[in-house]
Amino acid sequence: MVLVTAVRDYLSRMLQDISGMKVLILDSHTVSIVSVAYSQSELLQKEVFLVELVDSISKSRESMSHLKAVYFLAPTSENIQFLRRHLVSPRFGEYHLFFSNILKDTQIHILADSDEHEVVQQLQEFYADFVATDPYHFTLNMPSNHMYMLPAVVDHSNLQRLCDRVVDGIAAVFLALKRRPVIRYQRTSDIAKRIAQETAKLMYQQESGLFDFRRTEISPLLLVIDRRDDPVTPLLNQWTYQAMVHELIGIQDNKVDLRNIGKFPKDQEEVVLSSEQDAFFKKNMYENFGDIGMNIKQLVDEFQQISKCNQNIQTIEDMAKFVDNYPEYRKMHGNVSKHVALVTEMSKLVEERKLMVVSQTEQELACNGGQVAAFEAVTNLLNNESVSDIDRLRLVMLYALRYEKESPVQLMQLFNKLSSKSPKYKPGLVQFLLKQAGVDKRTGDLYGNRDFLNIARNMARGLKGVENVYTQHQPLLFQTMESITKGRLRDVDYPFVGNHFQQGRPQEVVIFIVGGTTYEESRCVALQNAMNTGIRFILGGSVILNSKRFLKDLEEAQRIALRTEGKTYPINLEAKIYSSSHTLPPRRTGEKNHFFC
Amino acid sequence: MATRNRTLVYRKYRDALKSVRAPTSSSASSSGAGGGPVIELVSTSLLNPNRNYAPLSTEDPVCTEKSDASSRGALTVGLPPAWVDLSEEVAANVQRARVKMAELTKAHAKALMPSFGDGKEDQRLIESLTQEITNLIRKSEKRLQRLSAAGPSEDSNVRKNVQSVALLSGAFSIIQVIPKSSANRSLATDLQTLSMDLRKKQSTYLKRLRQQTEGQDGDDLEMNLNGSTSRMDGDDLDDMMFNERQMAKIKKNEAFTAEREREIQQASEDLFVVVESVNELAQIMKDLSVLVIDQGTIVDRIDYNIQNVASTVDEGLKQLQKKEGRGRGVMIHWGMDAPEPV
Repeated sequence: MVLVTAVRDYLSRMLQDISGMKVLILDSHTVSIVSVAYSQSELLQKEVFLVELVDSISKSRESMSHLKAVYFLAPTSENIQFLRRHLVSPRFGEYHLFFSNILKDTQIHILADSDEHEVVQQLQEFYADFVATDPYHFTLNMPSNHMYMLPAVVDHSNLQRLCDRVVDGIAAVFLALKRRPVIRYQRTSDIAKRIAQETAKLMYQQESGLFDFRRTEISPLLLVIDRRDDPVTPLLNQWTYQAMVHELIGIQDNKVDLRNIGKFPKDQEEVVLSSEQDAFFKKNMYENFGDIGMNIKQLVDEFQQISKCNQNIQTIEDMAKFVDNYPEYRKMHGNVSKHVALVTEMSKLVEERKLMVVSQTEQELACNGGQVAAFEAVTNLLNNESVSDIDRLRLVMLYALRYEKESPVQLMQLFNKLSSKSPKYKPGLVQFLLKQAGVDKRTGDLYGNRDFLNIARNMARGLKGVENVYTQHQPLLFQTMESITKGRLRDVDYPFVGNHFQQGRPQEVVIFIVGGTTYEESRCVALQNAMNTGIRFILGGSVILNSKRFLKDLEEAQRIALRTEGKTYPINLEAKIYSSSHTLPPRRTGEKNHFFC
Repeated sequence: MATRNRTLVYRKYRDALKSVRAPTSSSASSSGAGGGPVIELVSTSLLNPNRNYAPLSTEDPVCTEKSDASSRGALTVGLPPAWVDLSEEVAANVQRARVKMAELTKAHAKALMPSFGDGKEDQRLIESLTQEITNLIRKSEKRLQRLSAAGPSEDSNVRKNVQSVALLSGAFSIIQVIPKSSANRSLATDLQTLSMDLRKKQSTYLKRLRQQTEGQDGDDLEMNLNGSTSRMDGDDLDDMMFNERQMAKIKKNEAFTAEREREIQQASEDLFVVVESVNELAQIMKDLSVLVIDQGTIVDRIDYNIQNVASTVDEGLKQLQKKEGRGRGVMIHWGMDAPEPV
């Protein structure tokens, strides 16, 4: 409940002290933040009769001076400019300005300068700067996520912007929780280190007054890690409800857009999957596909019972009862048809893409199984015509990540086969992935084969047998959380920032994955929290990944990397060629050759 | 949750910049100007007998005057538009209905309590209260429909918003031109909850009433039996009087039965009346339920509604432009041809 409650509290406070009719003005960023936490009907209860976007509002010229405007914006320079224009010619009676993060003094100056009519009643910072999709899971919905894979020299300003956004988002989470944490980061990741250090600077130096909260015995822990330490989880196909919907169809801000995958009636084109508002979803979001099917069947049966009762209206009493129960009946009807539609679509996709077979191999590649068998399985699937291109790519990537060093020849064979079978495949993508997230770059023991203890654990698990082949994978995050719970997170792998130190176990941990989280990991966190070990985990990331998004980020990063390499390549080549043979470089036409004038 | 109030810093900057900008600024300070225009607006509107609540716009002569006079002064507080009256009325009706509901509950409780006197007065009161409440709800519903129907220039999306709000809250203040539909939706939900309440109360009352009348009959019959058996076991000596007493008893029993029958008939009539009002409410409910938002669905999402507003505004603009074009066509043809119907 924690994160969602925090955002809701901020919004309630914003609205409750202002009496009368209000209009709420958001930007594209805060719209997501507000939409996942507050519903339209709740807004209406608070007498907010109109919600607009700050950039569209300028098109309308109507003046509504008996409405009070409540602005909730991110403190970006574009928003400040919009606000300037609005303040110069105000449409509303009163202006109450709230910003989702820390304002700069210059920005306050600009606003004060434009407020000639003195319509601004208050200006506050309310730190709801994260999208709280689930009680213990948040995201920052960052558009240029792929930048994290590139070194700083490639695009310095964009990378700085990414870091700033992440630091601000993390700061907002801690301000909402009223805590100041001890910070650790993953040693092998430069960007994780950079973000950790900049966060520490913000919290302990630049705005130390703002973060100076009542100290508890043990500070909470912020752990900043890199997506590339566990590249396997986003590549896998998922079989638990929420993760599966995101993987096969796609969830954005708890909304599912069904328009692209089939024909649906108007009111089913977009549906909401929120554990807060849908009791059935809350019970089943972490269940696997088989169990969901059964539970939905049960739900449908219940619903049919009720409908039958409703149809049997004999007496006036029955009529009265029917009308009494009608709103609930309608709500149930909507809910049932939503879940049935989702599960039907997903079954269709599973059937089309032969995901049962593909996923079995994926799980073997991720968890256990020998190299020879794996190679065979992957080859067979690559030859299988009904397997889609994206699934072929994923299989080869998973194989490459696992057996990177073991048999280069066979790996090469797979690359070639992939290129020949998938015409749209951009060559070198798998190698790029290995360069980013190969075994040399990773800190965590992804396959449990680094130290003796993990190998033993794996063997034990293999002997015990698995409940469900399709959900046997556990993300690396699970091990990390276990280590933290036992107080055994190694300093060597995850050092502290600066002179931070912590003795003993923290009681609250926020783990931020630069590059994005997955719903499989948020499920892991939720289940861990349900075990009540005394530590509460919160997970956050720059985006919420599925395999499509992860591959897109890889491709984007590869494209930029190649472009940058390309710029420097010819010069190097020339130097190499001509320096070794001691001949002069050719004269370029139209250019003065300074050396040979 | 931490927050930081930058208002003081902001005001400091604002005042400093203001004094830099216009050190000889007249008495167009916010407080003074705020009081003046409101009063003047009211007086002008009183003088004008045909005052029409025009939607607040730049065409409003009073407003433009004010804005010319005090160029740097505060904004004038505008008069809310006409349909706000309708919404206010509905809200007032809803409130009244609430109060009556409370009275009705009390009356029900009183009627169901065993009493010595005739329960008819209580029944009357209950009937009249129920009737009043149903009337209020029906009137509100009609007003609500007028709200939806009026004003082609208003945004239908916002209309929906107002409706739903009124229903959810029940008491609400002035409603805006743009957000008209918000008030409507909320009003509808309110009415629906009220009607449901009323009907629930009615059904419980009916049940209890039925139980009571049956119970009373049962008791009386029992009493009669006992009475007669006790009498039967009485003296054998008074044989002569026996027949008379029996006759008297039989007559009394008959009278009892007749009265019971009458009461039952009365009760069933009451039931019938109540049932009728239940039917009426059912009809109102059906109409109202169309207006209500479903919670937890896509329609209840803020981002979905923002997208919809954008698209409907665009469409509305297109429609307006189309109409304008046609209108101009009519004006041109005036005098030459018959004007085309727009």
